[in-house]
Amino acid sequence: MKSSLVFHKVIVGLLVIYLLIPLVGTFLFSMAGKWDHTILPESYTLKWYIELFQDERFYLALQHTLFLIVVTVGLSVVIMLPTIFIITVYFGKWEKWLQAAAMLPYGIPPIVGAVGLIKVYSDGPIQIAGTPWILVGAYFITILPFMYQGIRNSLRTVNAVQLVDAAELLGATKFQAFRTVVFPNIISGILVSTLLSVALLFSEFAFANLLVGGRFETIQIYLADKLNSSGHLTSAIVITYYSIILLLTGTVLKLTFRKEKASVFSNKKRSLSFLKKSYRQKNTALEGENS
Amino acid sequence: MSYVTIDQVTKGYNHQVVLENISLTLKKGEFATLLGQSGCGKSTLLRSIAGLEDVDKGSIFIDGKDITQLSPRNREVGMVFQSYALFPNMNVFENIAYGLKMKKAKNIKSRVTNMIELVDLIGKEQSYPHQLSGGQQQRVALARALVMEPKVLLLDEPLSALDAKIRKNLQKELKRIQKELDITTIFVTHDQEEAMTMSDRIFVMNKGKIVQSGSPTEIYTLPANTFVAKFIGNYNVLNMDVFRKLVQRTELDGNEVAIRPEVLQLVSAGEDHLDLQANWGIKGFIKDVSMTGNVLRYEVETEASAFIVDDLHHQGKMFEQGAQVHILVPKKECIILAN
Repeated sequence: MKSSLVFHKVIVGLLVIYLLIPLVGTFLFSMAGKWDHTILPESYTLKWYIELFQDERFYLALQHTLFLIVVTVGLSVVIMLPTIFIITVYFGKWEKWLQAAAMLPYGIPPIVGAVGLIKVYSDGPIQIAGTPWILVGAYFITILPFMYQGIRNSLRTVNAVQLVDAAELLGATKFQAFRTVVFPNIISGILVSTLLSVALLFSEFAFANLLVGGRFETIQIYLADKLNSSGHLTSAIVITYYSIILLLTGTVLKLTFRKEKASVFSNKKRSLSFLKKSYRQKNTALEGENS
Repeated sequence: MSYVTIDQVTKGYNHQVVLENISLTLKKGEFATLLGQSGCGKSTLLRSIAGLEDVDKGSIFIDGKDITQLSPRNREVGMVFQSYALFPNMNVFENIAYGLKMKKAKNIKSRVTNMIELVDLIGKEQSYPHQLSGGQQQRVALARALVMEPKVLLLDEPLSALDAKIRKNLQKELKRIQKELDITTIFVTHDQEEAMTMSDRIFVMNKGKIVQSGSPTEIYTLPANTFVAKFIGNYNVLNMDVFRKLVQRTELDGNEVAIRPEVLQLVSAGEDHLDLQANWGIKGFIKDVSMTGNVLRYEVETEASAFIVDDLHHQGKMFEQGAQVHILVPKKECIILAN
């Protein structure tokens, strides 16, 4: 029994090491001065970070990336949430079509998608090829599967259809029902999808490079460009944007946790009451005896 | 004067008829039950009354007003779902107050407090639904519907997710509250025992139609057809030809005969003094005995058919498996079914 536990721990440990080594390596390399034939760097320096933080292109690229993410993810939530809600609740038989559409992006390689998009949007009524807007469109499609699955699963978990039925019978309009009983219960699910999408878009390169390239430099294009000049600098970029994602995610999670303090508290209580199972059973028996 | 009228309501899904020409009327304050197996259309009928399903044909009236085309929020009906459908983000008080808030009603606090008292949930106002037991959740759902003072209360198998003891308790509770508020109630269940204990009137449904309606006693003692006889009380239903052969009488009419298992009496084969004036006597042997606590259920094999015979579990009086017996069938308890 004990030896098998040790075995489990070793496996987990190896996995953690496997996942962390590239990160730690990158971090060390971004701080390294001279590092040729030793296991750890011979000297440390902050000069790559100083160089990076003095580069205006970096801030611009970061701005571009954040702009794209906020617009795309925002647009996605605003459009997809009501769409999925309406389809799931009122047009159940159309759901398979929406599902198929949401899964399509998985089936199309970015290169093929990009070439197609450039062809379609180079002329005709909507000429947005080469502008950031075509990237917003492409990214919207890229994150569609995540947004769709996340929102749909949340709606199913809370049994949204029945909650709406109940609210309507109590005098709420459809919109009131959505706002007061569905939305508050799926917000955490939406948040998870959103964070996943943000992380995905932060590291997106193929579409950005093919569709707009240097005309609207994102952080990934900036990174690719710097790859040729200095490995130390690119390591610094990677570490910086990882930190930004971490900070962003942490802040959002913390904010929502504070908002849902009441329900977190009750969650805790739930696990406690699970421990007090025998007590609860006693209670139930009492309730039955009251008859 | 009828309070609820359902007039020839018909509904189908993809060419399949779910409700076929359903008509019924209820008096104010009546407790009516729609009883039937799953898929018989009883829940669909209830949801149609609530406005959660559209009907293809027919109309529904409550208190003289045609509500067939109204949206659920304007129908003044309350509904309790099988899975409660409480709002997980609100506590007990907020759940019950929800409808009043939507209607911008006055005295919300006192009305909710009264309701909490009525359903016996004092002290649980601040609890969230997942912190409550199933029975308590169902009470909240009931209070949430009742606080709106609906004209009709609809209950969709509200007790079937609860265990037996709490269920019995809530049945009584529900009946008490219904009487106290004198609220017209339509209850949906597949459990005939529950229907019998709760209802003033039962509507037995099968394949989208009402096959019989009446008081619990009427339904139980005078089933109108084979389906009701089998569904409602484990009746022994025999083909008339078989029955004629068993009792050696040819003058009996009808298609089938239905006999309740508890009116049959067993006597040992050796017994001489059989009352054959009031009873038919049929020879047989005990094929199987099972005990459900207070009732002994015998399976008696005769030359043409097997009978189920129920007897109260008296001390020391029990037929062994294989024993030769006479079944005494009271003549006046034989219900002749024409169809």
